[in-house]
Amino acid sequence: MKILIATPLYPPDVAPSAQYVKELAKRLTAEKHSVIIVAYARIPEKIPGVRIIAVDKNKPLPLRVLVYLFALWRAARAADIMYVQNGPSVELPVTLLSFVIRTPIVVAISDKNAYKRTREKMMPKFINDLVISRARKTIVNMPMEQPEILPFAAQPTREWEAYNLSWEDHIRDLIKTFNHV
Amino acid sequence: MSENAQLLWEKYCEQEMTAVAPLLASLGFALELNQPQIGGERFLMQAVTTKNGRKLILFARRASDNKRVVIKITRDKNGRGELLHERKCRAALQNITFAYIIFLSPKEILFANKGGYTISIQEYVEQECPFLERALEEQFSTILKAFEAQEGAHATTFGHLRSIIKTFGKINAPQYLESYQDFQKNISQHSFTDEHTRALLQKGYEILTSQKETVEQYCDFLTHTDFVPHNFRIIDENIYLLDHSSIRFGNKYEGWARFLNFMTLYNPKLEEALLFYVRNNRADEELVSLKLMRIYKLGELIWYHTKKLDKASGNFRTLTEKRVIFWSNVLEAILNDTLVSQEITDKYKSERDALRSPDETERQKGLH
Repeated sequence: MKILIATPLYPPDVAPSAQYVKELAKRLTAEKHSVIIVAYARIPEKIPGVRIIAVDKNKPLPLRVLVYLFALWRAARAADIMYVQNGPSVELPVTLLSFVIRTPIVVAISDKNAYKRTREKMMPKFINDLVISRARKTIVNMPMEQPEILPFAAQPTREWEAYNLSWEDHIRDLIKTFNHV
Repeated sequence: MSENAQLLWEKYCEQEMTAVAPLLASLGFALELNQPQIGGERFLMQAVTTKNGRKLILFARRASDNKRVVIKITRDKNGRGELLHERKCRAALQNITFAYIIFLSPKEILFANKGGYTISIQEYVEQECPFLERALEEQFSTILKAFEAQEGAHATTFGHLRSIIKTFGKINAPQYLESYQDFQKNISQHSFTDEHTRALLQKGYEILTSQKETVEQYCDFLTHTDFVPHNFRIIDENIYLLDHSSIRFGNKYEGWARFLNFMTLYNPKLEEALLFYVRNNRADEELVSLKLMRIYKLGELIWYHTKKLDKASGNFRTLTEKRVIFWSNVLEAILNDTLVSQEITDKYKSERDALRSPDETERQKGLH
């Protein structure tokens, strides 16, 4: 399956949602899916086998949204599914694009803090409502965050098992969703 | 030359102390008899630091309640600029919401211009014990939280941070390279520098150049370029920053690099623990970035000590030479992806302790 991930955050950004996208792309690629990421970033961390299209944030807001829109448009034409991470800077171009392309959209609320902020302001809330209305499905449940390996503690074996299990469940549910939308 | 620099500094201190003591008394502050921050090797630090002006850092007591305070006082133009910049940075820092830990500043008691002097007075922050005397696990978790907090301020992510970049200043990969080239050129031209050190510095430059993109990749993060124990205090889980003038937006591993290089000498176990953490929990590029910034900071440190050679004589000169050699050994180890041997570190430490003046030994007590 050709999966396009649209995200406002990607490493080196340190937010958990940025780490989520990187881990997701790694795992989907390992399962032989073709993954493209369109991210607001300047020099994104690389993932073998994954194409990452970076849109520099260091531009005036309207310009960077426009650049993102075109990058997304080009990538979406060849994709089977567009998996969109929440955040107005991505939701707006995705919403606009949803009127001109037929690629199915699945939205993930992967950044809960950004979601809360979005729901508190009128315009971001409107954009968020709009993208959700254009999406075939909204994913709310996220896998666990990666347990840390610390120098003075025992290896977090159980935590890693639980982490990997949560990811296996997440990927299985996602693929099922992608196949049915 | 050293005697000259030392005599000049002592004369400066004597003159200034005579002038500032009554001035501070009129403001309600009595200077303590012992002033370790103007003794020892402080004269050399002042002599080689060209960007900062002369200033005195003094301990005093507030007459009204006997509260201990730290006074920074200067009538030098650059020194005044530094105090103002630090004050601006301190204010700006309070506008950044950090994720895990709060950076606090010692309470400002007075900032004023009086009698031709700029005076900055802050409360003295007393900590239970110095950082290096705490348990290793506590040192590790505290410092990790502090770095994570700094990394939480990424200038490209949040609009409001972009507006405060001007206050702190910003550095990117080409500027890091340019600075390193300056260090390399200046060190290489010095008569003390041998071929081996020149070759090490050149190897460092080649690695930095070939990995320039990795340096840039982790830029735009808030970083404290001199994040070492004598520049902060820990009270409960909070960190009080004592030096605000070294904060800037740059590679997020610049602060880590300075700290790890420092711990090579003072606590290699903590250095290893932090390296273990980065190796096991962060992206491969981040470990590379940390190495690159360590090379950069070592270039800066070797230049700092090389620069002091011209102002030093006698034991100071010998000690400064030992420092240049030791940090060159550390650079060689980092370039070879290893750590400097404990034997080299121990040898250097015993030589350093033997060569330090009694004043400097006193100044170092409880500093870290």
